[in-house]
Amino acid sequence: MTRKLAIYGKGGIGKSTTTQNTAAALAHFHNKKIFIHGCDPKADSTRLILNGKPQQTLMDVLRDKGAEKITNDMVIRSGFMDIRCVESGGPEPGVGCAGRGVITAIDLMEANKAYTEDLDFVFFDVLGDVVCGGFAMPIRDGKAQEVYIVASGEMMAIYAANNICKGLTKYAKQSGVRLGGIICNSRKVDGEKEFLEEFTAAIGTKMIHFVPRDNIVQKAEFNKKTVTEFDPAANQALEYAELGRKIIENKDFVIPRPLTMDQLENMVTKYGLMD
Amino acid sequence: MSCELLQKERTGVINPIFTCQPAGAQYASIGIRECIGIVHGGQGCVMFVRLLISQHLKESFEIASSSLHEDAAVFGACHRVEEGVDVLLMRYPDVKVIPIISTCSTEIIGDDIDGVVRKLNEELLPTKYPGREVHLIPIHTPSFVGSMVNGYDVAVRDFVKYFATKGEPNGKLNLITGWVNPGDVSALKHLLAEMEVDATVLFEIESFDSPTMPDGNHVSHGDTTIEDLQGTANAIGTLALNRYEGAKAAKYLEEKFAVPAVIGPTPVGIRNTDAFLARVKEMTGKPIPRSLVIERGIAIDALTDLVHMHLADKRVAIYANPDLAIALTEFCLDLEMKPLVVLLGDDNPFYEDDPRIKRLRENVDFPMEIITNADFWELEDRIKNRGLELDLILGHSKGRFISIDYNIPMVRVGFPTYDRAGIFRHPVVGYAGAIYLAEQMANAIFTDMEHKKNKEWILNVW
Repeated sequence: MTRKLAIYGKGGIGKSTTTQNTAAALAHFHNKKIFIHGCDPKADSTRLILNGKPQQTLMDVLRDKGAEKITNDMVIRSGFMDIRCVESGGPEPGVGCAGRGVITAIDLMEANKAYTEDLDFVFFDVLGDVVCGGFAMPIRDGKAQEVYIVASGEMMAIYAANNICKGLTKYAKQSGVRLGGIICNSRKVDGEKEFLEEFTAAIGTKMIHFVPRDNIVQKAEFNKKTVTEFDPAANQALEYAELGRKIIENKDFVIPRPLTMDQLENMVTKYGLMD
Repeated sequence: MSCELLQKERTGVINPIFTCQPAGAQYASIGIRECIGIVHGGQGCVMFVRLLISQHLKESFEIASSSLHEDAAVFGACHRVEEGVDVLLMRYPDVKVIPIISTCSTEIIGDDIDGVVRKLNEELLPTKYPGREVHLIPIHTPSFVGSMVNGYDVAVRDFVKYFATKGEPNGKLNLITGWVNPGDVSALKHLLAEMEVDATVLFEIESFDSPTMPDGNHVSHGDTTIEDLQGTANAIGTLALNRYEGAKAAKYLEEKFAVPAVIGPTPVGIRNTDAFLARVKEMTGKPIPRSLVIERGIAIDALTDLVHMHLADKRVAIYANPDLAIALTEFCLDLEMKPLVVLLGDDNPFYEDDPRIKRLRENVDFPMEIITNADFWELEDRIKNRGLELDLILGHSKGRFISIDYNIPMVRVGFPTYDRAGIFRHPVVGYAGAIYLAEQMANAIFTDMEHKKNKEWILNVW
């Protein structure tokens, strides 16, 4: 059975980096077959897997050829460890409807049977918040069943995570989607781990892994690689391998109980992050 | 000098030939018994479509709307589907099938109609309507994709996909008619009956030629049942007459249940009707009876009276749903007529690969243009500014002003045909359809000859 995962989180928190590094680790260390579907109009969800090779996005091809003529070969590229990648793409900032782009792209991939049964994991890497119906597409009926939220110990990241949980709660009933946990992508702020542990416990989930900050991630990024590809012996590669293992073994799938603004503010104050 | 396949180059559309996807889904949905669709969108998405269908068939029938307003576009509108389903079930105790047909606005805002269906199935139905048979079927028809033609195609597939259930072989033939009139369904059933073939017809819309009975007004309903749809998985084969209206369902049944699919021909004209009967014979093993040979003979006789003297070399423009338009073109060619312009109102990229269009491109020996993504201006511009001279237009009522403004006789065919009486009652398919079409064309030309004092004396001596 293919497991379909959607990765959400505040803009800039490191969703794409975490997704790709985790995917690479799952492929390299755990021998899993992976598909990454980038659902961000910026189309930067697969750069590290494809070593920077610019990928023609699905929406670009659609504009040129029309939906009916799109084949999987035109839009899917394979990269590190044969991880298959597709980028939805979308409009330039300020025009059109990026959400619709996500809907169209996922529909097309399903119609073309791109998510084949031999896959162990499909990752949907989704931009920022669940701002509209389109960005909820990956968690609709029959699509991703598990959501992981990337967060850090910063206030806005927690706000965003809480908001995403609200969206998730809305869809939990109609699509059966569940929260698998929160991935802490550490920003090295004080009391980060404790804050996230308290937050995750309060909303009824867990911090599935604390990914420490390590410059090798940036270094690998400059080299257009995931850490696993860049230096599989590095500590950070093992961290992603560990996160991968936890995802493989994860059994805790919940409907989160998002906090009210007051509860959230209190928690933020407690950890003294307001200044 | 031959047949060219062109795409409209101009940006924008002046007087569209087709309407949008949900219209096709709605036309398909009215063919099912105990079914009322909910169109999830603004009221106009039902109002105009229902009006169009109602004008065409001159009958009353029901389609519901979730009736979106401004707030729905901002906040999402799935709750309106939930309320809509509830109201329909309360108000119509016999309703069993409710397709939920999406539109442009609800697809853009990303309303999750599949999710709503799941939620309703888990909550509303077991609590408020326990024991009641209800089928909720999400049908995605964003209006900005394709046209009413593939909206119909998608809807037929989704109905079949939802219901088809593997069971004992039923020995029946699935006949997917495509977008046709009640008269066509009668004609097709007549041909099958003559061949003693037991068929499941998608969809049974003969009843849309409804009686007015002593006990009052009649609201029309389709007659294809849930059992019919379920049984499609157990048929000996599926014959989808139209490549663009029903073939998706046929292919689904083939892939999923190994029910062999045969696509085409659209049985318009002698040649295509012959091919149709040959296909039925192949699929069922039933011989073609003498009665049909006689029918064919009558048709040939009727056509012979007209072709060489009156129809030959007449220059025709044709616009209609693609399968109908192509089949009419083939029929006109058989009648020695010259279809100069064929307009297809959408930009389906598969037209290029259509074997029928390929044949036309290879064999036609006079300048013929097949224009895709066409609008009525493509036709009018050619007449008004580019010297196109026509003797006849074949198409639906939306093009009537070209006929009126440029004094070109016109035969109404296709959908919608609201400006002439009873068109929906007359088949264009089968041998009867061939006679009807040829005689309509001839009579339109005769009337025009009289009107224009153009060799009208010929009719005295014919």
